[in-house]
Amino acid sequence: MKFIGHRAMRSIVLVAGFFAITAGVGLAADIQGKVTAQGMRSAAGIVVYVDAQIGGPPSQHVTVDQKKMTFIPHVIAVQKGTTVDFLNSDPVGHNVYWPSVGGNKGLAHNLGTWPQGQTKSFTFHDLGAAPLLCNVHAEMSGYVVVVPSAYHAVTGADGSFVIRGVPPGHYTLKTWSASGKPTVQQVDVGAGGATVALTVTR
Amino acid sequence: MANRQRLYANVLAWVFVLGSGFYLFALCNSTPRALAIPAFARKYQTSCATCHSNFPELNDFGEAFKKNGFKFPKDDDTFVKEPAVLLGAAAQREAFPKVIYPGEIPGTIPISFRFLGFAAYNSKRPLSAGPVPRTDLFTPDTFTVIAAGSFGPNLSFWVDDDLAVGGSGAEGGLGDGYLKINDLGHYIGLPKNALNLRFGQFELDLPFTQARSINPSSYDIYDQASVAGSLGTTNNPFVFGEPQRGIEIGGYPNNGNFNWSVALVNGNNTDPAARNSKDIYVRVSQRFNLERDPAIRKEVQAAGPTGPRDHTSLRLGAFYYYGRNALNIDRTQFPSFGTIHEPFYRAGGDFRFKYRNFQLYGLGMYGRDQNLIPNDETGALEKASPVTFTGGFGEAEYWVLPWVITIMRYDVVNSPSDFLNGASKHNTRNRLSPGIQILVRANIKTVFEYQRRWQQPFGEGQFFRANGFIVGIDYLF
Repeated sequence: MKFIGHRAMRSIVLVAGFFAITAGVGLAADIQGKVTAQGMRSAAGIVVYVDAQIGGPPSQHVTVDQKKMTFIPHVIAVQKGTTVDFLNSDPVGHNVYWPSVGGNKGLAHNLGTWPQGQTKSFTFHDLGAAPLLCNVHAEMSGYVVVVPSAYHAVTGADGSFVIRGVPPGHYTLKTWSASGKPTVQQVDVGAGGATVALTVTR
Repeated sequence: MANRQRLYANVLAWVFVLGSGFYLFALCNSTPRALAIPAFARKYQTSCATCHSNFPELNDFGEAFKKNGFKFPKDDDTFVKEPAVLLGAAAQREAFPKVIYPGEIPGTIPISFRFLGFAAYNSKRPLSAGPVPRTDLFTPDTFTVIAAGSFGPNLSFWVDDDLAVGGSGAEGGLGDGYLKINDLGHYIGLPKNALNLRFGQFELDLPFTQARSINPSSYDIYDQASVAGSLGTTNNPFVFGEPQRGIEIGGYPNNGNFNWSVALVNGNNTDPAARNSKDIYVRVSQRFNLERDPAIRKEVQAAGPTGPRDHTSLRLGAFYYYGRNALNIDRTQFPSFGTIHEPFYRAGGDFRFKYRNFQLYGLGMYGRDQNLIPNDETGALEKASPVTFTGGFGEAEYWVLPWVITIMRYDVVNSPSDFLNGASKHNTRNRLSPGIQILVRANIKTVFEYQRRWQQPFGEGQFFRANGFIVGIDYLF
């Protein structure tokens, strides 16, 4: 009898939680748009993010792979406090280090060198871009861009992006790119979301 | 910040490339022939630094790449960014011999170029030794074209040719040009790369390569030729460091820790064969991997907490060269005699110790040529004291930074016959060559080397030291 009571109580909690979550999702909307790159080779790989501290750091890790002597993805945006797992999928040893975070050389870090199939993790607590390098293969390049919120996206080959699930409100939208200047733009997100056009110049 | 760094790098580059106030002259010895290979950098879209810690010297990964027929030691296909052109579908192997066995050629023309130039400041020399300006602005020394790559899983090739030497088209010539069959032992069940074959014109499997030497001048012992002069008939043009024409079998089992090779060569370096007999060269070496971590020991390229390095190791080796020089083939020197054969050999040992950013290596060699002398009374040729020499070199390299390498080298040649013929003031000729090398970019290097040389003759009983300071520029593309 006591056992059945617990199950009933748990069901009630789950149903209530479901309604609460779906109600919340219903309020959130997407920011979509396109970035135009001026004086740059491509509009791909530009980080667009909401510059606001909303929510705590995610518990899920994200992965940066090293495959065919390339960092995959080349650019990844993560919320402050996120742990990144660096995987080596190549049959040669790879190293991962970054000489700075957000231009601050005091935040340089070297994870070391490790063989195929192994992973090393690091939690990024400082805002800014960490240029990923491998001192075994000098040509390898990648970026972990640490941003304050969970609302961020990386542009595709044509410069388009979608930031999903943004609560309605007024926000400052910012960009980061490896070779372009940062762009700042205000955006109002309503129930139907928002569409923006951004320009990044070299 | 990035702009400032770029500016700093550029200023540094120009300071080292052009800013030196010292200049020129011709090098006292021949210069190394090549080679770091931008064609491979293009094929794999990787930096020169993947294979060279200080080009053209190979690091552990570069050695493994070369020994594997210019392919990555593991899963080469996954790293190739410029796919090869197939000269037949792989499945044609099953149809062989009714079809031509399938092969491939590089997807793009595997051509690379290397330019090497030097400036030098010479010590003051006696007037009677001939007027030579103490400085010259620049000597465009060598322009080399290099082609190298693979024709499939087990065939690799190499051709390098000096298009211009000494600033003109003159004297340029083929350095190495060979075809190599890798892993021939696979067909008889031997371990990978335990048996390989190459033929053509190639540098012998020397303990320390002259072709990929980081030094702007040759090792003196490699250039030593046996000449009796007034002491007899010996006049052997063979020198150790120049390429040879022939065929070589060799292998590197046990992850390259053990190396062996046997070569049959003309014995006349890059000149056409001048005699019927062929020479034989044998080399064996064993590397003792001193890495404590067994996992690192198995890796092609060792790595510590902060990055890659060569394995801490000690390699010990030995070599032996035997030939029979032929004189008087055309009967002009001694009309009453036939062809005169003078057996000779070179033998020696070598070591190479690597520890983190430091390397110490050296070689010792003994050379002996049979020597004859005409007997004025009988008219016969009699055995005379053999022409012998000993010598070698020791060299240390230390990477202060990944792009700054300090070098100390000491060459010794001990040749009684050279001394008796007046080529040097003492039995022993020695040279001290401290230097610094700076990688301005991964493919551009400036070389600074001071040479304190032995005393050379310039008149009856008069000697001087032809010391000099060399500034070199070396780049590939």
